[in-house]
Amino acid sequence: MNEELLMPKIDVTIISGRTAEQGAGLEEGKTSERYAKSTSLIELSPADAEALGIDEGGKVKVTTPHGAVVVYSRRSEGLDEGLAFLPYGPWANQVFGAATYGTGMPLYKGVEAEVEVCDEDVPSLGDLIDGFRGDP
Amino acid sequence: MVEHFDVVCPFCGCLCDDLEITVEGGEITGVKNACAISRSKFMNHGQNRLGLAVDGKEASLEGAIEEAAAVLAGAKRPLVYGLSSTDCGAIGRAVELAEVLGGVVDNTSSVCHGPTILALQQVGESKTTLGEVKNRADLVVFWGSNPTEAHMRHLIRYSAMPKGMYVPEGRKGRHIVAVDVRETRMARAADEFIKVDQGGDFELLLALRAAVRGVKLKAESVSGVPAESIAGLAGRMKAAKVGIVFFGLGLTQSEGRHMNIDAAVGLVEELNHHTKFLLSPMRGHFNVAGANSVTTWQTGYPYAVDFARGYPRYNPGEYTSVDLLAKGEADAAIIIASDPAATFPAEAVRHLAKIPVVTLDQKLTPTTMLSRVTIPIATAGVEAEGTAYRMDGVPLRLKKVLEPEEGLLPDEEVLEAIIGRVKTIKGEVE
Repeated sequence: MNEELLMPKIDVTIISGRTAEQGAGLEEGKTSERYAKSTSLIELSPADAEALGIDEGGKVKVTTPHGAVVVYSRRSEGLDEGLAFLPYGPWANQVFGAATYGTGMPLYKGVEAEVEVCDEDVPSLGDLIDGFRGDP
Repeated sequence: MVEHFDVVCPFCGCLCDDLEITVEGGEITGVKNACAISRSKFMNHGQNRLGLAVDGKEASLEGAIEEAAAVLAGAKRPLVYGLSSTDCGAIGRAVELAEVLGGVVDNTSSVCHGPTILALQQVGESKTTLGEVKNRADLVVFWGSNPTEAHMRHLIRYSAMPKGMYVPEGRKGRHIVAVDVRETRMARAADEFIKVDQGGDFELLLALRAAVRGVKLKAESVSGVPAESIAGLAGRMKAAKVGIVFFGLGLTQSEGRHMNIDAAVGLVEELNHHTKFLLSPMRGHFNVAGANSVTTWQTGYPYAVDFARGYPRYNPGEYTSVDLLAKGEADAAIIIASDPAATFPAEAVRHLAKIPVVTLDQKLTPTTMLSRVTIPIATAGVEAEGTAYRMDGVPLRLKKVLEPEEGLLPDEEVLEAIIGRVKTIKGEVE
């Protein structure tokens, strides 16, 4: 049997936002380890983490109609089931769309996403930059 | 050893002006009164600094300025973007550059409180300074805003803890309410936490307004909030001596965007029939309010300004940076004190990666990695003086606490040099 079919999957609404650690990390430098650590993650409610059966720090793939990204997961008691949080940054921005509906503002909060357990690598900042450049 | 007192922090819109910075042997060795982010900014300011380069190769300042001017002057639809983490002098020069180029000038408010500006232009604003909040507010509501992570000393200096003239008890004399979709640290620090469904702010604001007006809600709950909680908060708001709603990107970046702010203003307007009530956006970058102010006094508009016809036109949704990039319209860009490659959706960044980009910044960022020309600058508020506007519109003077490395100029001076070269290329007489 294809093992991938057995990977647990859940549907959530994702929001992004500032965290103190992301702020302090960016002031150290966007190329710093502190910045990458604080922004390449998703916070899940305890119920959702349970449903996925993952440990703290386990890797998940987040997919929306706009893109997909592999990030580390972290449990957050403050989140209700079905709501997930990504700190602002280039990892989160892989899965938010650019449509602004005449306002200039993309929808950075309130996007439907699928989250699944994953054993692919979390991309480095360099990988994301290469992704922006696309095929030469 | 030199000690600098009353230093203004150049990180967030609070512009805390009570920092104490110690400098020894050309290095910052101590920071007092700062939050964790501010401390990181001052203590790590020398790390991961950007180099002067053209096409990834080391360049002279003159060479980089020449290439920057050539890239921009040769473009049909150049974009000038960023500006919220530099001083007002640089912002003025950026507007001038956009005019000389016949390009678009936009600032980071298009992806933070741009929707707030759209709403306030429609319906007005009941505004105040943070000093008034400190001295008078006995009810403080944080709506879709998390100062414990983003504006870390706001509660300590202005909105919760301080003893004010008419709030002599300080924290005990104020009722703090947090409205959010998740239980943040702010929610735990508040006296009352109201959890609203994601995307349900507009309906909740309208229901609150109705309750303030005396309407008895027929629904059992609105956006996940029980009717009795809504009635309770409405009553508390009406009974306040002076109340204020501080709102954040929870309102501007969710479905509804500017209409959420419109509804918040409507609620505050209704409350002013009963008591004094105010609202204030929690502005993020330290001089984003200045970017709006300077752009407005120079062009008449706060952001998303197009000079293609030789005079300023304003149209968020069309001349805003995410739209210009995602539609593939911009064919060159100059980014000042900002990192759109980290903050814009990937679809917009992929276009930025295709066009020639000039970036003025202090540090290496995803945007500098995608840039043809990178020009390091003297950091505003650390290595260069200047003026910045606090989130409530109060201008403060940024201090220079450290000599910049040799050859580093402030944003304003680099922009002046680029403008000069662009004018020459375009054949204009200075």
